[in-house]
Amino acid sequence: MLKILIPTLFLLPTTWLTSSKWLWPTALTQSMLIALGSITWLNNTTDTGWTALNSYIGTDPLSTPLLVLSCWLLPLMLLASQNHLSSEPMNRQRMYITLLATLQLFLILAFGATEMIMFYVMFEATLIPTLLVITRWGNQTERLNAGTYFLFYTLAGSLPLLVALLMLQNNTGTLSLLIIPYAKPLLLMPFGSKIWWAACMIAFLVKMPLYGMHLWLPKAHVEAPVAGSMVLAAVLLKLGGYGMMRLMIVLDPLSKEMVYPFIVLALWGVIMTGSICLRQTDLKSLIAYSSVSHMGLVAGGILIQTPWGFTGALILMIAHGLASSALFCLANTNYERTHSRTMLLARGLQIALPLMTTWWFIASLANLALPPLPNLMGELMILTSLFNWSAWTLILTGIGTLITAAYSLYMFLMSQRGPLPQHMLALPPSYTREHLLMALHLIPLLLIILKPALLWGWFAC
Amino acid sequence: MDKVADALPGSQWSPFEMNPNLPPERADIVIIGGGVIGWSIAYWLKKKERVRDGVKVIVVEKDPTYSQASTVLSAGGIRQQFSLTENIQLSLASADFMRNINEHLGVLNQEPVDLQFNHSGYLFVANESVAHIMEENYSTQRFAGAKVSLLSPVQLKEKFPWINTEDVALASYGLENEGWFDPWTLLNAFRQKAISMGVIQSIGEVTGFNCTLNRMDTVDGETVDVKRIKHVNVRMPNSREYQPVECAIVVNAAGAFSAKLVDMMGIGTGPKDTLSGMALPVEPRKRFIYVFNCPDGPGLDCPFLVDYSGIYFRREGLGGNYITGTSPEEDAEPDVSNLDVDHEFFQEKIWPSLAHRVPAFESLKVTSAWAGYYDYNTFDQNAILGIHPLAQNMFFATGFSGHGLQQSPAAGRAVAELILDGSYQTLDLKGLGFQRIMAKEPLLEKNIV
Repeated sequence: MLKILIPTLFLLPTTWLTSSKWLWPTALTQSMLIALGSITWLNNTTDTGWTALNSYIGTDPLSTPLLVLSCWLLPLMLLASQNHLSSEPMNRQRMYITLLATLQLFLILAFGATEMIMFYVMFEATLIPTLLVITRWGNQTERLNAGTYFLFYTLAGSLPLLVALLMLQNNTGTLSLLIIPYAKPLLLMPFGSKIWWAACMIAFLVKMPLYGMHLWLPKAHVEAPVAGSMVLAAVLLKLGGYGMMRLMIVLDPLSKEMVYPFIVLALWGVIMTGSICLRQTDLKSLIAYSSVSHMGLVAGGILIQTPWGFTGALILMIAHGLASSALFCLANTNYERTHSRTMLLARGLQIALPLMTTWWFIASLANLALPPLPNLMGELMILTSLFNWSAWTLILTGIGTLITAAYSLYMFLMSQRGPLPQHMLALPPSYTREHLLMALHLIPLLLIILKPALLWGWFAC
Repeated sequence: MDKVADALPGSQWSPFEMNPNLPPERADIVIIGGGVIGWSIAYWLKKKERVRDGVKVIVVEKDPTYSQASTVLSAGGIRQQFSLTENIQLSLASADFMRNINEHLGVLNQEPVDLQFNHSGYLFVANESVAHIMEENYSTQRFAGAKVSLLSPVQLKEKFPWINTEDVALASYGLENEGWFDPWTLLNAFRQKAISMGVIQSIGEVTGFNCTLNRMDTVDGETVDVKRIKHVNVRMPNSREYQPVECAIVVNAAGAFSAKLVDMMGIGTGPKDTLSGMALPVEPRKRFIYVFNCPDGPGLDCPFLVDYSGIYFRREGLGGNYITGTSPEEDAEPDVSNLDVDHEFFQEKIWPSLAHRVPAFESLKVTSAWAGYYDYNTFDQNAILGIHPLAQNMFFATGFSGHGLQQSPAAGRAVAELILDGSYQTLDLKGLGFQRIMAKEPLLEKNIV
């Protein structure tokens, strides 16, 4: 663990001490080496599952995929931001990389935490660099509003979580993730335990986001610069899912009745946000709502508390992280050329940038869960576990899948096919950097097809 | 306490006081010029956007009083009697639009739009030497669908007894869709409808552009700089404060002042006869309009008469008032630095021909006069619609040279189709693009004047 943490920590002196000519190549190389080093975590060697274990942090099959995803994303974020930051003063560029590196650090500590309070503190800590990135480097005046929504939605949800965790500590004497599964269930008065259950879950449901509490997400995603959108979509949403999965074990007998309304909300959210996607005019907004849609399915999978549900949720989280981040990068390549996120003004790109169309195609297909991509594996596992619980959910998830396919194809056809507008006849061609960025997103996604067992979590049997 | 209430989420309070009149930081399409062409394009863009808020449109106008805008100083005539099919089609479509204006521009719960469209028609009067041009134009016009009729001098005298038909060989009279209307009402109708559909109006002057540059070599070996506008700098009136508006597309509908925008981009500064030297051939030309009163004049049955000598006049209202004007000689263009009226011009150039054509006008009294600019296309006096090859995302809708107002609804629709659909859908106006300027093939009107 330290061999990843220390280099990440030392990314900070690197950014401030390197000369301006070498800043980006150095930061990129260092983060890429960290990412490649983090892949070794996927090798879970111990019988208990907890590897790289010490008093504070450790990795287990549930956290490893998410850890690798967060580490993998940092070089990609740096690649994506290079262009739009190149015109800014050096100190601001260094600050940006610093924020991304600190975010990375907090994420590694959050996913690797063995103690729930440490996870909680890191969970909250990730809000700060993200808020700074959204409000300082975002593009419109609405970014202030977006930052406020983002911050306060998450904070309001997570304060009850703190209380709930402290109660748990008080009652069971420990909050260590290794011990908690074996602790007695918390016995409170009937209504009190329901409130405690909700307090544990609300923070993560807001972060996922669950349909009723998702308002912050489109704002934050749209107003954030590309790296902000990438990390938000790919990793920060998964913090919610990860937290839920960890705490589910503790909340056991209560969950049987309590999950009911949330599963319904999650599945209904899949359909509603999918339908909203079909009416979006702003490309980033469409991708943001599609994130809500996919995360609704993940929430359903986690709340159902079956092995297949958890596995499906974990796989879908990783696959969605890569695919959604790829889509945001593609949207950014559009934005950098036309300076508009409106889909109506950026059409027929297949004629102008045919190679980018390949990436658009693969990313859109990943979004609509085409077999044999892991997106489909995740969705199918969640679908079947939900169906096992109640046959009626199939209607909701089925329609949800249909609408997902509809808006993914709509996004592809709208941006790539059709007449090329007059003002886009001579766009700058795709840069190698952009191709590299897309390749680094989608090649891992394609490689996961070959061994999805790496990402199955605890149930990789 | 107000500050506390204001600081809650969702409010507009910020510790830095910002000018509330600043345009938004970004928009999809910035239309520079709030005349009738600019607002027409804004309206049609919103009409074609498919979903609500599909495109964000801002119209930037530097003078909200419109004191120098060509639109409101226009004589307000509309005719289909052109020789170019594109012009005829534009006017015909516009007339159709204006006849059904409340269907298009009616806003809920507002008063209906009354353009005061007088359908009195245009009457072109030709002598022997130019009669053949009139006949050719007549067939072009009929072929394009305009309802025009040719009148012999006898028929002319019968129809309009107050005309002196001494030297008249042929006259062409528009029977339908021709006449005049109130330009201010049309402008306001477009503006109100566009604003009700979500177009943002910004009062400010464009002082510059931030562009990205692409240096390319053409087939002829010439090096050109192809520019893409990233930001439009809009400066607030009477202030040094400006807002760089990030945008995807800029529409140049600045009328007589369009060339200034092109200069700001640095286009047209290269050597002549090269691509980089191709500037926008639009400059302001001052034209005078004189209002006179003649109680014994033609009366209600007075069309918009255009004489072969160049003078024109039309009835204005019902009190025996008429407005008149003419185009000066090429070498006697008035000074464009102001809108002062030259009254001598009326005495010397207009009155004699006026009195010759209509004997009743020998005794008249000029009650007022004003001057306005034509956005005169020095190349071929016809509209320029489309993209300049060196400015990748600036659409032009300028250079109408005196017939912009009458073509505004259809021209707005054409430019909106060009932007949103990528090509012309209803009227094929490719002939009015920059190609003709690059190829040095002027698309001249074959007029009798």
